[in-house]
Amino acid sequence: MKRPPMLMHVKIRGERRGFGLWLPIFLLLPLALAMFIILSPLILIAILVFWPSGWRKRAPLILRAAFEVFCSMRGIKVDVQSDHHCIYISAV
Amino acid sequence: MNESKKRILEMLAQNKISTDEAYRLLSVLETEGSAAEDTPKAGTAARAKPKYLRVCIMPGSEHEHGGKGDRVNVRVPMSLIRSGMKFTSLLPPEARDKVTGALREKGIDFDMRNLKPEDLDELLEALSDLEVDVAGSDGETVKVFVE
Repeated sequence: MKRPPMLMHVKIRGERRGFGLWLPIFLLLPLALAMFIILSPLILIAILVFWPSGWRKRAPLILRAAFEVFCSMRGIKVDVQSDHHCIYISAV
Repeated sequence: MNESKKRILEMLAQNKISTDEAYRLLSVLETEGSAAEDTPKAGTAARAKPKYLRVCIMPGSEHEHGGKGDRVNVRVPMSLIRSGMKFTSLLPPEARDKVTGALREKGIDFDMRNLKPEDLDELLEALSDLEVDVAGSDGETVKVFVE
């Protein structure tokens, strides 16, 4: 399993002003875990509701694939520059 | 290679060469053949696995001087493409049929059910040879490559 991205660098520059942000994703991971624990009763109810429709098998696979996609985002870079605007997003 | 073997066998049939000579010639051909097969394999192993798919769009010189045109530089990890494509196997059969139908309507005869993980790896490895370089009439260039 790949390591998830630790930091995300977002830089947006407009005509007059801009800003840059270093988002600490590693700090969000414990928060996401806490949210998952808090929401676990609701998740359990959802699993029970969707049990007959066959989604019980697919849901864990989807969650795993989604986490894999999140982990694979490490190294992504999007840099779009025009004359007066600039958008830069990268995950490290 | 088959041509040479055929010629040796023809020469043997015409009694131009002896059985021993034919055997020797055939074994030499086989040795050369296996050596030739081994060389590209070694080359493939030595080739580094592609890590990123890059898309670069650069404005033409006219745009640069005129102060117009957008510059785009996108780097997508290959692992992200691989993980994203794995999602296709998680699609419900009804949704998959809809996608296949929509693709067929656009003239693309591609059935997503036939896409297997081993094919996916092969496809992504083959991407290492990909290089698209398009130059527009206004000087704009689009480059898609793998690094």
